[in-house]
Amino acid sequence: MATTAPAPAPVAPAVPRRARRSGTAQDRRTELVLALVAATVLALCAGMLVFVFVKAWPSFEANGLSWFGDGNVDQQIGDIFKSPADPADYVYTIGALPLIVGTFLTTAAAVVLGLVFSLFTAIFIVEFAPAWLNRILEPVVRLLAAVPSVVYGLIGILVLVPFVAENLISTERKESVAFVVQLTGASWSVAAVILAVMIVPIMIAIIVDALRAVPKSWTEGAAALGVNRWRVMWTISVRTARPAIIAAVILATARALGEAIMLAMVAGSVGFIPNPFDGLTFFFEPVRPLAAAVVENAEGLSVIPFGQTIYAFAFILLVSSMVLSLGGWLAKRPMRKYGIQS
Amino acid sequence: MTMPDDSADLIVDGAGPPPPIRRLVPGGAPTIVLPPPPGTITAPNGAGGTGPTVERRVSALPAAQVAERMRTEELRIAYGGKEAVKGVSLPVRRGEVLALIGPSGCGKTTLLRSLNRLTELTPTATRTGRIVLDDQDVDTLEVTDLRRRVSMVFQQPNPFPMSVFDNVAYALREQGSRKPRKGALMEPVTEALRRAGLLTEVQDNLDHPALRLSGGQQQRLCIARALAADPEVLLLDEPCSALDPKSTATIEELIVRLREEVAIVIVTHNLQQAHRVADKVGFMYLGDLVEYGDGDRIFSAPREERTADYVAGAFG
Ligand SMILES: Nc1ncnc2c1ncn2[C@@H]1O[C@H](COP(=O)(O)OP(=O)(O)OP(=O)(O)O)[C@@H](O)[C@H]1O
Ligand SMILES: [Mg+2]
Repeated sequence: MATTAPAPAPVAPAVPRRARRSGTAQDRRTELVLALVAATVLALCAGMLVFVFVKAWPSFEANGLSWFGDGNVDQQIGDIFKSPADPADYVYTIGALPLIVGTFLTTAAAVVLGLVFSLFTAIFIVEFAPAWLNRILEPVVRLLAAVPSVVYGLIGILVLVPFVAENLISTERKESVAFVVQLTGASWSVAAVILAVMIVPIMIAIIVDALRAVPKSWTEGAAALGVNRWRVMWTISVRTARPAIIAAVILATARALGEAIMLAMVAGSVGFIPNPFDGLTFFFEPVRPLAAAVVENAEGLSVIPFGQTIYAFAFILLVSSMVLSLGGWLAKRPMRKYGIQS
Repeated sequence: MTMPDDSADLIVDGAGPPPPIRRLVPGGAPTIVLPPPPGTITAPNGAGGTGPTVERRVSALPAAQVAERMRTEELRIAYGGKEAVKGVSLPVRRGEVLALIGPSGCGKTTLLRSLNRLTELTPTATRTGRIVLDDQDVDTLEVTDLRRRVSMVFQQPNPFPMSVFDNVAYALREQGSRKPRKGALMEPVTEALRRAGLLTEVQDNLDHPALRLSGGQQQRLCIARALAADPEVLLLDEPCSALDPKSTATIEELIVRLREEVAIVIVTHNLQQAHRVADKVGFMYLGDLVEYGDGDRIFSAPREERTADYVAGAFG
């Protein structure tokens, strides 16, 4: 890294010999234990990746690149499930693009929505909200973070989906696409909105902490130059908090990628690629994200090719979250140069 | 922004102003002389009866060039219940550098911060009494406008976590209605760095992270940052505390040069510095403005015993 760490100071000779020795030995033991723990965690991660990949390989091998292509995914999943028992006749054919698009669409929309909302909420809490409001807001935010996702799923399927179906989707709209897909109200946009609600509390909490940790001398220094509160917040505090904001985005994205239950309930569970050229209808079209496809089909894992296909879904999710962490690390790197801590 | 030039005559000093006893250099032009190398300076020592031993090296400006810009009237500032500034009335004039001296904790920083309403950023701080900028109560001014006109350099250097260039350009970018291009900023940024005596050290790499400058360089960077915005009143809170003699001399020259256009208040623990640069000196003690007057007079013939003790080095 660019930072030049100061060389370790030589051990002060003034320290009594025995204390020094035992201190060093203890330090070394602590170091060893920590290194072991870290190595174990790394090994577990690597092991999991390898295990899932090995399990998933037959599905990737059978399809090649067309695994990532378009296909009638729901039909294909059914066919794989009904594979003959003879390994030579296993069916593997799948084009998982609709699932990938479903995951991407719900996750990206939820994270963008969630980031905008949580950033401005955090700014409000830190800089503008009166103290009494914060005393209410902050526990509420923490509480929201702890609500189990089934509860969100229930609210979605019992309240939001019927509301959208009855009030926002006209009969003509339903009929206009009836030959391709059913518009039931369960859709990627409803799923994304609920997903955003789910990831917002943790993002708010992280960003609030980061904004509060910005040294006062910086914000006062900017204020002393005649810059208004909002611009001080934006040009100094938010700027300084960027690594934490990136961390929040990554955490939220990982959470959204992995969310299965709520999405299985609300996203429509149809392996369909929403078409942006459908205009407003686009937003009411259903999807089937990867994680939802995994939980929905968990009971069929004993069918060998089916299980391998599900493992392939899981592998894609796993790799996505790893790439995500790496991307976040790369994004934070140039900031460190100017002294913005992550 | 403009003001009558003769308003200096109308000032009522809080602590009884003596008639000016400033030595004027024949011709009236201010001469700026580098302070001699350390070791040749004798400490101000007015109280022991030995008379003034440090010469001011800068003459006062002619009275016509001196004009009042700011004034505090019975200013009181308390943190919680504890008063840190106790009824201070003080003028701040363009053309006359004002030095605030006094032992640690006597309220110098608090007084300085109140002048551009930075005390309002401390939730516990309360203020009574008036502060006036060009005959306008500062409370009636837009606070951002006030702080653009009355800029402060802090006791602890506080460069932003950006490049040297971006630090100095910060105020210019924020104060303009449209974002200026980097090319257009180059000239004012280098000019501000030059005035603060930092340019030669950083000109090769203006992208250098400001937080990796040395403490003294950071301090000068903060001065450059404040200067870039062309303030009308400049508040300097111990601007030389981390500087070597050469950089200190640069800053002192700058202060003396600036005083013709900018009203300057400097807080310093360095009495020799106060004597070198200040035309007026205010001595504070436990929140009171004990004595205010011409620098020469404060150091050579203080009227209050506490002032005499302080300038003699008895406490602080
Ligand atoms: N934010 C604050 N909250 C509470 N009390 C404060 C605060 N800032 C300063 N004080 C108190 O106000 C008094 C004056 O402080 P101030 O910083 O103005 O002193 P100073 O003269 O600048 O001292 P120094 O020379 O050490 O910088 C001190 O007693 C200090 O404890
Ligand atoms: Mg101070």
